[in-house]
Amino acid sequence: MADFEPRIVTFCCNWCSYAGADGAGVARLQMPTNFRIIRTMCSARVDPEFVLRAFAKGADGVMVLGCHPADCHYIGGNYRARRRIALLRMVLEQYGFDPKRLKLEWVSASEGEKFQKTIVEFVDTIKELGPTPLVKEAN
Amino acid sequence: MGFFDKLFKKKEEKKEAAPAEKPKAEPASTSASFKAEPAPAPAKTEAPKAAPKAEGGNPDPYAFIVPPVASPGDADVPKDAILPAADLGPLLPGAPAGGKIKLAVYWTAACGGCDVSLLDTHERILTIGDMADIVMWPVAADGKEKDIAAMEDGEITVSLINGAIRNSENEHMAKLLRQKSKIVVAYGTCAMFGGSPALANLVPGGAQEILDYVYTKTPSSANFQAEYHKDAPVIPQTSYQAPEGELTIPTLYDTVKTLDQVIDVDYSIPGCPPLPESISQLLKAVEDFVYNGVPLPPKGTEIGITTKTLCEECPRKKENARITEIKEPHEVDVKPDICLMDQGILCLGPATMGGCGARCTRAGQPCRGCYGPSPDVQEQGASMFTAVASLFPVLDEDPTCGEDEIIKIMSTIKDPLGYFYAYTLGKSLIRRAVKEGGQ
Repeated sequence: MADFEPRIVTFCCNWCSYAGADGAGVARLQMPTNFRIIRTMCSARVDPEFVLRAFAKGADGVMVLGCHPADCHYIGGNYRARRRIALLRMVLEQYGFDPKRLKLEWVSASEGEKFQKTIVEFVDTIKELGPTPLVKEAN
Repeated sequence: MGFFDKLFKKKEEKKEAAPAEKPKAEPASTSASFKAEPAPAPAKTEAPKAAPKAEGGNPDPYAFIVPPVASPGDADVPKDAILPAADLGPLLPGAPAGGKIKLAVYWTAACGGCDVSLLDTHERILTIGDMADIVMWPVAADGKEKDIAAMEDGEITVSLINGAIRNSENEHMAKLLRQKSKIVVAYGTCAMFGGSPALANLVPGGAQEILDYVYTKTPSSANFQAEYHKDAPVIPQTSYQAPEGELTIPTLYDTVKTLDQVIDVDYSIPGCPPLPESISQLLKAVEDFVYNGVPLPPKGTEIGITTKTLCEECPRKKENARITEIKEPHEVDVKPDICLMDQGILCLGPATMGGCGARCTRAGQPCRGCYGPSPDVQEQGASMFTAVASLFPVLDEDPTCGEDEIIKIMSTIKDPLGYFYAYTLGKSLIRRAVKEGGQ
């Protein structure tokens, strides 16, 4: 497990979190490279199917980052997103996943540091949890 | 859908033409006359005709099944919202020129409802025998596996297979029928999406755990085992050496599969079970192919669906009410014309393919999603998460509360996995229970 490098899919909303990630890069903050960012226009654009597809394709963790509550570019997108993610976490738990494998966090455009912190923490969490429990069955 | 679009148009033309000219003494049996003469069973006496073509003026012994829910009470049901039955024309004109075709029906992991639903073709089922030899039909005919195995490859023209693939016997029969058939139709929701049998995928321990539970843990079997097999509980083995020879039973699979995960499928008909309208459309296509050489619809055609979701054909009015609590239909006085979701009843209409005429919601029951996801969507459940989550109102404390609060709010939905994937788990992306740290 020591050399386990998780693969993490990160959905960033265009208006806050993606800019936050950009800020983290510009500020040259050090962070693990286990994540791939997919930019969406809003955290509510992240269809639950995207998340399930990421897991089905072998992602060890999925993060959805959006604007802070009351800060959404589209006024209420992140409220929708957090309800969907809550449902998804319930479903993932029913499947047998640890719901910690799906994380929702708010990162604003100016929070490069928070982005770094979130990534570091999440990578640590996933490293602790180990690889995805999903196995391609044989029969 | 192109082929069937034409069918629908033909039917509409007929509707307009038929009342004008009453061809024979038989009931002209359009939707208009339906109310006056409730379901006569006409035309059985009609001799087989030479010209099987479905023409506008022909008496249609099937027209009385056209309005699926048009009981005399609901005249307000928009007729165009419902997929019509195919115009099957007069009865079949005897055996086709090239001899009878072979037709097989088989059930795999299914309840048998799909098998029986073929009888919804009403008296037409009697004359299907003119067109085809039914070489296998578990619920009605006496075909055996060895009869099928003895056939040439491709000898059967059409095989209808209903049910999910649950064990080795299911898979064997599906593969055998595929080999012997020109056309294989995934018939019904279980064959297409896994249906209820696929919910067994949520048992983490798979087949072993299921067998163990059924044969040692359920109260009746636990008593039996304790009384007769105290030390070694008896669980069915896949093979047993009897003095007379080896006995085998099929192996139960850990993961229930859909038909198209095991064999190549040509057409599919959703529904639990498929509606008479869908069956008539399939029958029409086969009849046209057999008697008139009309090419079959393109491979992969889904029969009996519209292009939009169920909400499109549901007559209930959407008020965009916000809900804070999920209710069961029996817990509330269901208002007859308001959207069920507005009333807090979980309805899978927004995520489910249309084509059934929204029978359940018309009757005050929520859609459970047996028609499967809409096109371009694989996850019916995920579509529902999106729809349902948006119905929960934004609260005053929303900007300040944490995610745990939101989980608490959403927990009013009990068992989201079982509810939203009740019919489509076999086709979903994750498909089965997983075990954290179990690799």
